[in-house]
Amino acid sequence: MSVEDDPATTERETAEEEAAGDAGAAASATPKLRAENVTKQFGRIVAVDDVTLDVRPGEIFALVGDNGAGKSTLMNVLSGVHAPTEGQLYKDGEPVQFSNPSDARAKGIETVYQDLALMDDLDIATNIFMGSFPKRGVGPLRVIDWNATYERSRAIMREQLGREMDIQTEVEFLSGGQRQLVAIGRALAFDPDVIILDEPTSALSVDATRLVQNTLDRLAEEGITIVIVSHNIESVLEHADRIGVLYQGSLVDIMAPSETDLEELNELMTTGTLETGLLDD
Amino acid sequence: MSTEQGFLSRTFGDSDDLALTLLDNMIWPILAVVILGVLVFVPQTFRSIQLILWGAVPIGLLVLAESLCLLSGHFDLSIGSIAGFSAMFTGMLLGTCPSCWGVTTSPWVGFGVILLTGSLIGLVNGVMIAKVGLNPFLQTLAFLIVFEGAKTAMQTQPVTGLPSLYVRVGGTPNLAIGVMLVAFLVFGLVLRYTSFGQAVYALGSSEVSAREVGIDTERLVIVIYTISGLLAAIAGLMLTGFVGVVPPLIGEGLVFQAFAGAVIGGISLFGGRGKITGALGGVILIQLVQSALNNSPAIGATQIQMINGLVLLGAILLYNTQTKLRSRILASGAT
Ligand SMILES: Nc1ncnc2c1ncn2[C@@H]1O[C@H](COP(=O)(O)OP(=O)(O)OP(=O)(O)O)[C@@H](O)[C@H]1O
Ligand SMILES: [Mg+2]
Repeated sequence: MSVEDDPATTERETAEEEAAGDAGAAASATPKLRAENVTKQFGRIVAVDDVTLDVRPGEIFALVGDNGAGKSTLMNVLSGVHAPTEGQLYKDGEPVQFSNPSDARAKGIETVYQDLALMDDLDIATNIFMGSFPKRGVGPLRVIDWNATYERSRAIMREQLGREMDIQTEVEFLSGGQRQLVAIGRALAFDPDVIILDEPTSALSVDATRLVQNTLDRLAEEGITIVIVSHNIESVLEHADRIGVLYQGSLVDIMAPSETDLEELNELMTTGTLETGLLDD
Repeated sequence: MSTEQGFLSRTFGDSDDLALTLLDNMIWPILAVVILGVLVFVPQTFRSIQLILWGAVPIGLLVLAESLCLLSGHFDLSIGSIAGFSAMFTGMLLGTCPSCWGVTTSPWVGFGVILLTGSLIGLVNGVMIAKVGLNPFLQTLAFLIVFEGAKTAMQTQPVTGLPSLYVRVGGTPNLAIGVMLVAFLVFGLVLRYTSFGQAVYALGSSEVSAREVGIDTERLVIVIYTISGLLAAIAGLMLTGFVGVVPPLIGEGLVFQAFAGAVIGGISLFGGRGKITGALGGVILIQLVQSALNNSPAIGATQIQMINGLVLLGAILLYNTQTKLRSRILASGAT
């Protein structure tokens, strides 16, 4: 048998439709997350250049761009890893300042890092709740409630990620896609309303990509807003509600998948405009 | 099809699953074999089980210190030296020997000073490693030499005339054994049931990941080395009590036994894996071998250190085999 078999696969079509519907209805609402004229410089390098961006509640917003375009940097500003050099962030319309990831966490923004931040020697449940263990008892006798830890990890896996996994399995035994799920599971343990995901650059297998995408569809359907950096354009076209293109630190375009295609996106990513791309042809 | 309980066994087959469990708990069958061997060849070793356990107290505390460091992906070569220096320094303050300083005769001041000395040295280890960024091996090797040297510079004769209460803690077998067992119990519970304990495992498994999940890894490293120093100091107190004086060679060479005990007990040399109960098994094994050697007419006192070295080598070989088997089982299960 393959542990990649996914019970959620059959739900993919409906999840997609509903997610698209949600995003449409929410278009006029207060943005879940807003970056206003955000610039991030490292010394003389302008990694993110005057980006203004609204992420709508419950949508899957994909950020694409060439290597070094500034995607991770922009994500790191949104998740509190970097303070912006200039500009302002808003969460649910309210101006916010993050000086570290815990500040963002307190506002319901969780991040799944490019390297997933997993601990291979520890089991799935421990990985999921590292940093937010359920406790029991009082005062100095407040101790980790392992029963609750296991129960809640199982629930996150089953109900939010759509997977039945032995949560006492050590993470080193997992495949690439399963590792992604555990990392997303950790984000979910904090009960966030926004999840920021910087997809690993090293390509996931086709199965793993599908697994992760289905999971994100599912979470968006639940109302969680997803901001994802993706290196898989085809999958972005299939699953995202909107796509933002970064080119050399600038946000050159935002569009719905229906308004664009693979070729156009690739051109935007590599040249920053569509005209130059046409001339090059 | 969905994956339910026990996907390990279904993915890798029950025999591999069993093999992994055995590898993680190999201390117990090994201990059983050693006990049998000692029973057959040096049965007089078991004349007093209390004596074996009492003798195991200092090494037990050092194994605990080393296990904590190893679990966090670090290690501490200086624990034996810290034990020796703290005990000697405090002994010089309290003792009545000719060259002693004789500053006070209060055992309570003595307890405070010895624990504080060990903790402070551990704290400096931690700060140098976490904040200054020194390699743990080099930092703790330097302190091994520095504090062994400092101890020798202070005193080369046994320090006598210590306050009786000060000596009694380590000198009363059941009390000393109790201290060790309580220390193991407390650490076992703390590692399993507190965020601090789980953070130690997280740090040992991946420092980068630990930082990314929000653990203050620098502070954690400092705390770990401070605790290691504190445990080493308690070991020094116990050694003092065991002998009744502070012997000049106190603490020397013990770090290697501490390593052997921790590694045989299943504590990973690379961090993140291992159980405190296993480490306790390792302590008993190390001390049993020690007592058997002492009781064996065939082996002279001068040969014991060499045999200790071989035991350490054996432990590392065993660990190596375990790691290889583990990765082979892992590789065969990978898709
Ligand atoms: N901490 C940093 N210090 C200095 N420069 C940095 C730092 N982080 C990123 N940069 C620079 O900022 C620019 C954008 O980098 P970033 O990592 O955001 O790109 P990216 O779009 O995520 O690329 P990739 O697809 O390779 O992950 C690059 O020129 C990079 O060298
Ligand atoms: Mg990146």
